[in-house]
Amino acid sequence: MKSFQYATVHSTASARELVADKGAYLAGGNDLLGLLKEYLISADTLVNIKSLPGLNKIEHGRNVWTIGSLVTVAQIENDADIKKTFPGLHEAAADVASQQIRNVATVGGNLAQHSRCWYFRHRDTQCLKKNGDLCYARNGENRYHSLFTGNSCISPVVSSLATIFTSLDATAIVLRDGKETRMSMAELYQRAWENPLAHNSLSNTDLILRVEIPTTRSRSAYLQASDKHAFDWALVSCAAATTIEGGKLKSPRVTLGSISPVPHQVEAANSFLDGKVLDDATATHAADLILKDAKPLEHNAYKVPLAHALIRRTLLKLKGEV
Amino acid sequence: MSRMKKTEPENFGAFSRRNFFKSLGTVAATAATAQVQSVAAELEKVNSEKIIGPNAVPVTLTVNGEKLQLLLEPRVTLLDALRNYSSLTGAKEGCDRATCGACTVLLGDTPIYACSKLAIEAQDQEITTVEGLAKNDKLTKVQQAFLDKDALQCGYCTPGFVMSVTALLKKNPHPNADDVKHACAGNTCRCGTHPRIIQAALKAAGVEVASKTEVIDYV
Repeated sequence: MKSFQYATVHSTASARELVADKGAYLAGGNDLLGLLKEYLISADTLVNIKSLPGLNKIEHGRNVWTIGSLVTVAQIENDADIKKTFPGLHEAAADVASQQIRNVATVGGNLAQHSRCWYFRHRDTQCLKKNGDLCYARNGENRYHSLFTGNSCISPVVSSLATIFTSLDATAIVLRDGKETRMSMAELYQRAWENPLAHNSLSNTDLILRVEIPTTRSRSAYLQASDKHAFDWALVSCAAATTIEGGKLKSPRVTLGSISPVPHQVEAANSFLDGKVLDDATATHAADLILKDAKPLEHNAYKVPLAHALIRRTLLKLKGEV
Repeated sequence: MSRMKKTEPENFGAFSRRNFFKSLGTVAATAATAQVQSVAAELEKVNSEKIIGPNAVPVTLTVNGEKLQLLLEPRVTLLDALRNYSSLTGAKEGCDRATCGACTVLLGDTPIYACSKLAIEAQDQEITTVEGLAKNDKLTKVQQAFLDKDALQCGYCTPGFVMSVTALLKKNPHPNADDVKHACAGNTCRCGTHPRIIQAALKAAGVEVASKTEVIDYV
């Protein structure tokens, strides 16, 4: 790591001021220190934001739950109320990395983490994400890459919390230019869809403060398929959330992760499922719709049937007793 | 080399002009509106917000109950501080990328990767390394169980596993094999002793399980 200055802040105003143009916010630090150690980013000042007041709490409102951006993934995993109210969120958190990482990793950091593409992570590779002019993955080793993209970079979003938050219709509250801005999960990642340089829609000085989750959907589920049983990135992840009324789905949402630069949601699948009785046939048709426009590359075509199975399983899991 | 770089950025060091004025402003505003007692607290807050480094700064770590006064650059990781600045080489460096678990230490009762935490951030917290477990030449149950079950080959990953299992048993004194696997998912043993590590963890918890592999008792 190159040397840097360091400051601990107690207010968002100081955080914004000290991070200035060339600093970086430090929370859990897992992703940040990794990037610094590989010289993938440089920061002249690390601004430790963990002492910002009020951001490490999970608050239960009647209609909306608020999760502070400094809440750790372990806090979510171990919160009995979350497990009851948003089982899918519990499952997604429990699948994040290892306990050592979950103990320090924060919600904000999980959402804002950078691409895991191995060409991006290789310090000697000047790929599109690093202002180069070539995506090495497109004609190279692309078995972990996207089936969908809106630009020429094919590195997928890997935040499992983003996948479940998308299905739960969560909103991120981001401090931007001194003002609190509300962003849907789609908005939070939109720039990564359009711009190969972007990992998400956040600028260097934007700070995620909270995530709000509406309690509208009483059922949720998350599943991921990985090479290893534990402590591994998802090859594909799937999150679904819904309410079931009179045996029928109400406002269902299905989201895939790790197959697109953004949490992948297909409106046609959500509206197809709405009002349907959940069974093998409907789940299969929804999976067909979600994967209809997939564009597999040389080594990642396996993700299509994998995602298909995962969608069906996750949907059928919603039927289980709450 | 004739290339000279201007090395002092505007905010360099603890006594930059901006921070000086900032402290003045905040203190004045606080004094005008708040109780005199809280001014000291506010002042402390503002002072703690100052930029320090990149050169070495005083860092106090509480490791295994002992206070260590160190002089470290902010970029020094906790692992580096333990191994290279404090001669505590129990926590091992494997990957240095939050992947292998050899550097696992406890912050309070919580296992973390020391390689991915800055030492300067770990102040004010109790740090326990594998050196802090044995007391008066007596091993802990977990350490003894690792010996009894021969749960190691080269031993490089062992301190990390011992810390993960120790943390697990503090949280859950009666784990099953799945709990142990979940707790140790962030530790890797390239020699492949995982089955015996699971047995050791269960033995330390007072649960003996029928083993598929024969374990030779050395003790």
